[in-house]
Amino acid sequence: MTTETAASPRALAWQRRRHSAARFWKQYRTHRAGLFGLATLALFALLALTAPLTVGSDVQSVTRAPGQPLESPSGEFPLGTDRFGRSLLGLLIWGARVSLLVGLLAAVLSVAIGAFIGITAGHFRGRYATVIMRITDWFLVMPTLVLAIALATVMSRSLGTIVLAIGVTTWPTTARLVRAQTLAVESRPYIERAKALGGGHGHIMSRHVLPNVMPLVLAQTTLIISSAILAEATLAFLGLGDPTVVSWGGLLQDAREAGAVSAGDWWYLVPPGIAIAVVALAFTLCGRAVESVLNPRLGVAR
Amino acid sequence: MSTHVHGRGPKGPRSRPRTVRLVATAGAAALVFSAGLATPLDPAPRQAAAADGDKVLTVAVAQSVDSLSPFLASRLLSTSIHRLTYEYLTNYDPKDAHAVPGLATKWESSPDKLTWTYTIRSNSKWSDGQRATAEDAAWTFTKMMTDEGAATANGSFVANFEKVTAPSPTQLVIKLKKPQATMTALDVPIVPKHVWEKVGDFSEFNNDKKFPIVGNGPFVLTDYKADSYVRLKANKGFWRGAPKFDELVFRYYKDQDAAVAALRKGEVSFVAGQPALTPAQAASLKNADDIKVNDAPGRRFYAIATNPGAKARNGQKFGDGHPSLLDQRVRHALFMAVDRKTIIDKVFQGHAVEGQGYIPPRFSQYFFKPSASQELAYDPEQAAALLDRAGYRKNSAGERLGKDGRPITYRVLCHATDPNDKAVGQYLKEWWGKLGIGVRLDCLDNVSDPWLAGTYDLAFDGWSVNPDPDFVLSIHTCAALPATPKDTGATDNFICDKRYDDLYARQLAEYDPAKRAAIVQQMESRLYDLGYMNVMAYPNAVEAYRTDQIKSIRTMPSGAGNIYGQDGYWSWWSAVPADSGGSSDDSSSTGVVIGGAVGAAVLVGAGLFFAMRRRATADDRE
Repeated sequence: MTTETAASPRALAWQRRRHSAARFWKQYRTHRAGLFGLATLALFALLALTAPLTVGSDVQSVTRAPGQPLESPSGEFPLGTDRFGRSLLGLLIWGARVSLLVGLLAAVLSVAIGAFIGITAGHFRGRYATVIMRITDWFLVMPTLVLAIALATVMSRSLGTIVLAIGVTTWPTTARLVRAQTLAVESRPYIERAKALGGGHGHIMSRHVLPNVMPLVLAQTTLIISSAILAEATLAFLGLGDPTVVSWGGLLQDAREAGAVSAGDWWYLVPPGIAIAVVALAFTLCGRAVESVLNPRLGVAR
Repeated sequence: MSTHVHGRGPKGPRSRPRTVRLVATAGAAALVFSAGLATPLDPAPRQAAAADGDKVLTVAVAQSVDSLSPFLASRLLSTSIHRLTYEYLTNYDPKDAHAVPGLATKWESSPDKLTWTYTIRSNSKWSDGQRATAEDAAWTFTKMMTDEGAATANGSFVANFEKVTAPSPTQLVIKLKKPQATMTALDVPIVPKHVWEKVGDFSEFNNDKKFPIVGNGPFVLTDYKADSYVRLKANKGFWRGAPKFDELVFRYYKDQDAAVAALRKGEVSFVAGQPALTPAQAASLKNADDIKVNDAPGRRFYAIATNPGAKARNGQKFGDGHPSLLDQRVRHALFMAVDRKTIIDKVFQGHAVEGQGYIPPRFSQYFFKPSASQELAYDPEQAAALLDRAGYRKNSAGERLGKDGRPITYRVLCHATDPNDKAVGQYLKEWWGKLGIGVRLDCLDNVSDPWLAGTYDLAFDGWSVNPDPDFVLSIHTCAALPATPKDTGATDNFICDKRYDDLYARQLAEYDPAKRAAIVQQMESRLYDLGYMNVMAYPNAVEAYRTDQIKSIRTMPSGAGNIYGQDGYWSWWSAVPADSGGSSDDSSSTGVVIGGAVGAAVLVGAGLFFAMRRRATADDRE
């Protein structure tokens, strides 16, 4: 008797998961762009997570700023200083924490709303689905940025507001995708069998539909993170963020307000701009790779 | 609240809504980059001249016009336009701001100072050809006294008037109920009676439908489009002499960086210092060819206002200011923890003067400097000790507790559109954080709602001060409080103090300038001690113009003074066009290059991104 036959169902499940993870990674590795994105992300995540050790939270302090306002890059300040005399390299690293955090949270919120609405609309159909999908359509045609600006304006300026503003405006695409997948899953015979065996709505949605739409949701999350990071930067740039929190978009806004654009203080503008572009690109590359590994037939159009 | 921080009306209530600011900021990104990208393709500077060879002076401004009706307008830009298009009884001398003839050539008062007789000039004509007479002036004042809608902007000047008559076309007689020291500084535009008597509701009429607008100032308003431009034509028949420029255009640039780029390209001749150019902008423009930066002592103060517990004239309290702020020691401690020198050095980078009393040092006779014993100098330890003495102690976590036992966190109201508010706010957060007091910076596009409702603890505040300080003093009297919580009063931040009010009444009735100045200084001393209005700085007016388009322009005061937002019409009236008219600046500026570079980087990045995406998903596609 080998250990495998003696294994409990739980161990078997774990083994299956390990195998599929290995299979996933094997296929993922074939996507060069995906690998590049992943490496970039790992680098940024490492920088953000170790920021308290490398630059320290003191880097945000305006009263203990080490330099003079708007110094150009030098040995002491590799990326120059901002309008308070703080080191921009330190701020860039510190800002990664906020930008990544907001991007992640907003994407999770957006996908959670989208998945919930998509699954329920696909499962219940009927009048409920009609109403919910019309609401989704309404959100879909509303310009996301305008809606987010409106939301961020009426609420107090904080990170939570930004997360909420992005989250509640970007879910409709996910909802539509998930609903389509739900409809496909629910037409399979085993759902009918589950119903015959007495499975209720909750059971079917959480035990049968959700695991089947999960790959889609995962890929969608990765893709939405990049747009959420961009949206966060946009809102912060428009001055809708918390001015006391350092983020990449906030740095761009500070630079604009300090007149760095017309003064030609490029070191204030270019690094945060490039950081935003690179991280958004990395997330998109990862997302596309994950998508094509998990469901090559899906061919989801954005 | 444009006057609040973005320069207030030289008089008039705190002009409240910062309308359209959001849209403006939203457009900023587009503007910044488009300004950058446009230039390399369009290197020839567009001279700001009309096709027919008229000399046009284009001024880049940011502030929206609140109203073109002189009875409603209170913002700096609107009141400046009224200075240019209507004559006032008197004007201010550009050198030292003493009263000089305007529509009135001379004036005298009766021995009891209650009857004032003005001689109206006979050589001033309305732009429709009719003569401007004392009858017009009498009608204007009487309208303001009898129609509440017409008293919106300048009602405080006529509150003391008993009767205004015009016995002859050249004689105007004003009878007063009480002596009034501002009789030679009545900042009220005189409007043509034959045009304005047809107006129905003065609180609704904005004077922006029929152009040109009939006036008798050095310029005539010929066209206006909200947040786009204001166009004025020189009044060739102006009694003091015609302006040298044929046309004056205020063009809107909601983003200061875009305005600076336009100045570099020669699209505008002048960038208004409202908001002031940032230190970085000023420094880069100083090195540019054919551009002069005018950095002059300003007429504004920049302060932290404290909510003294908002209340109305009927005694009803409203709002929710933090109760600890009612303790004078707390207010003093807060201000003693503010390092004014750092604010000047770091935030204004030297383009401001450290704050003392309420009125800026530019008005030397009214300038007040606290005595050594009353001065609240920067001293964080002393501040902490003062808070301890007042009974606000720190808990084990280092947080200072209010009387209710909860940690104190103040809401600081800041203007989202003012970079200085945000910058100073970050310093406050750290300085007060050391005292154990939390700060929540509420940066809003429109601060007037919480401001008027009294739902704030502290706020950034600022007013432009006139040569005659009556108006900025009046906004802290009890009489300026709103009648009921629902009304809007002229009050700035609900200060109501008996001793201050008594002094206010005394200075208004005092005709001797030296004695009046002494009383005004006492008022400032009282205000300083109260600690409800803590002046941090007097920001400079930082503005710039093209010397190849404007040969010379008069500042006010003439020594070191501002150009935009003067108390008279001297700057635009005196501006002399440069002969060349051409601009030599066709090299793209550094800022533009940067803008282009960033734009290109974005494009390349996007291209790369799409190319890679296509590859990555090649197998997904059919």
